Amino acid sequence: MVALARKTLVYEWRRFLPAILAVGFASLLQLLQAALVLGIFGSASVYITGSSADLWAGYPGTQSVNLGRPINEDIAMRLRMDPDVTKVEPFRWVDADWRGPRDTGGVSVFVSGIDSRPDGMMFSHALPPALRARLNEPGAVIVDKADLDSLGVNIGDTAAINGQRVRVVGVSSGLRALGGVNIVSSLETARVLDIDPVDAGMMTYFVAKLRDPSKARMVARRLNGSAAFGPYNVWTAKEFARQSQIYWMLDTGAGAGVLFLAGIVFLVGAIITSQTLIAAVIGSIREYATLNALGVGRGALRKVIMEQAFWVGALGMICSVVVGIVLLIVARNRSVPMELHPFTAAICLALSMALAIVSGLAAMRILRRADPASLLR
Amino acid sequence: MSTPHITPNANVTLQASSVSKSFVSGRVQSTVLQNLTLDVRGSELTLISGPSGCGKSTLLAILSGLQPADGGSVRALGQELSGLSINDLEYFRLQHTGFVFQGFNLFPALTALEQVELPLSYMGLPKGMARKRAVESLEEVGLGSRMRLRPTELSGGEKQRVAIARALAKQPELLFADEPTSALDSDNGQIIIDILHRIARNHGTTVLCVSHDPRLVGHADRVLAMEDGRILSDHVPPAPSKAPEAKEPSA
Repeated sequence: MVALARKTLVYEWRRFLPAILAVGFASLLQLLQAALVLGIFGSASVYITGSSADLWAGYPGTQSVNLGRPINEDIAMRLRMDPDVTKVEPFRWVDADWRGPRDTGGVSVFVSGIDSRPDGMMFSHALPPALRARLNEPGAVIVDKADLDSLGVNIGDTAAINGQRVRVVGVSSGLRALGGVNIVSSLETARVLDIDPVDAGMMTYFVAKLRDPSKARMVARRLNGSAAFGPYNVWTAKEFARQSQIYWMLDTGAGAGVLFLAGIVFLVGAIITSQTLIAAVIGSIREYATLNALGVGRGALRKVIMEQAFWVGALGMICSVVVGIVLLIVARNRSVPMELHPFTAAICLALSMALAIVSGLAAMRILRRADPASLLR
Repeated sequence: MSTPHITPNANVTLQASSVSKSFVSGRVQSTVLQNLTLDVRGSELTLISGPSGCGKSTLLAILSGLQPADGGSVRALGQELSGLSINDLEYFRLQHTGFVFQGFNLFPALTALEQVELPLSYMGLPKGMARKRAVESLEEVGLGSRMRLRPTELSGGEKQRVAIARALAKQPELLFADEPTSALDSDNGQIIIDILHRIARNHGTTVLCVSHDPRLVGHADRVLAMEDGRILSDHVPPAPSKAPEAKEPSA
């Protein structure tokens, strides 16, 4: 079979270039947008994803990890009683106000009071044991290095949280959160910083480790069964993380924004691509009509156009993947929150291919004009 | 000298009986063909000539199965074309017909050899066979040495020869040519008409050519003069001893 579609694409590449670029740009925009959204909203659940706990117990109905309310100490007992739970650790969340040494005004911060022992589960991914140990000093806090500027401090500086003196004993990365600056301290320091009398001595969450993490869903269901220890709810870490991200996405309207933008990108890409393909078909309409006169069926001609659309899509996707990888690496080096999972990437690329195919279908309609009788004059 | 003759002949390959066709543009209906009856024989180059707008292209379109007639019947190779579906017509054309148009309509991206091979591959011929037939056809039209060239590297006459080879390689029983020489100079036009004539003789093909080019008249086996949707005369032209000074009813 003479590879008409491919040979035409190669020979007349200038004609097809706009379509390839349109698919490539659309694909790249979708990829970067998805990566950015996942990166930014992924940080809403940094408390969960940065920690190694399998289960989270918190106030019933909590929609996002930053909206926790104090829960009863007895719930820790309830968790420990479960045969699959090997370890339980408290997590204290304090909504606070920061005053730095430099003139930064008030900064709304979230203090994460964590167990500072070396084997603690909270922020085990972000804090190496040596850094973690420094939290034992009273008033010691650790912040993300990307937040130093907005807090107006450097390592070793002192500042005030809720009017209490704290000292920045170290920085880490992977602590950045959404909605406010995340500040890590020991449980003891957090207790001192919490000036709300209602919360006195109460923890916000209890996190637990399981003998077999793959049983997390089952154990969470089992623990949710009883209410004898006061109101609480148990989530698996994965569930709670996702719930927090979705909350932020919907709360900020970003979810709708993303879908809207994806729709626009798709539409613009499809218009450019289909117009280019249509122009290419019109450019060869007399040749197609001649083939049809010679008895080559419409179906076979449609296939040629769809094959061209497919190659345009494939080339566009390759361009976007190459450029996308470069940009993701650059973003990572500059601590821009970007995250892309293979599944999301596959969806973005599938959308781009769909764009090319839809454009091919639009161009295919023009084939109706390939009437061989019109060649007779 | 025009001696209309309708001799019953076993060699008749194309038959139109009482064919009519009209077009509607806006509210105006214009009749292009009126009750036209015609037999075309194999192994002959039949030329339909006439002024533009006389209906000769429409007649070609109907006889070749590119367009349905409004009334009457068309039989090609013993098969009734009127009433066939679009797919059936396409299949009939794929199996039995070749076309040469005024514009050469070659794909810019393909070499001469690929242009000729392309329809053959759609006929389902194995690759080797398609290649062999394509090469033979290109050699027959005198392009054996230029078959690796793309259309931009060929002259107008060569392009038209590629188009003829493309039609010829299908080994069609019916070959239709619409103004095949109009875009060419006299030398190249001469070459084209000679090739078409030779195809009719050597392959037993029915070659039906529509043209208002008076240079072709002397080379045809039979000339049908058309005007206003009717055939005015049907005659065998004098042998092509020299360029004929034909008194054509052409515009």
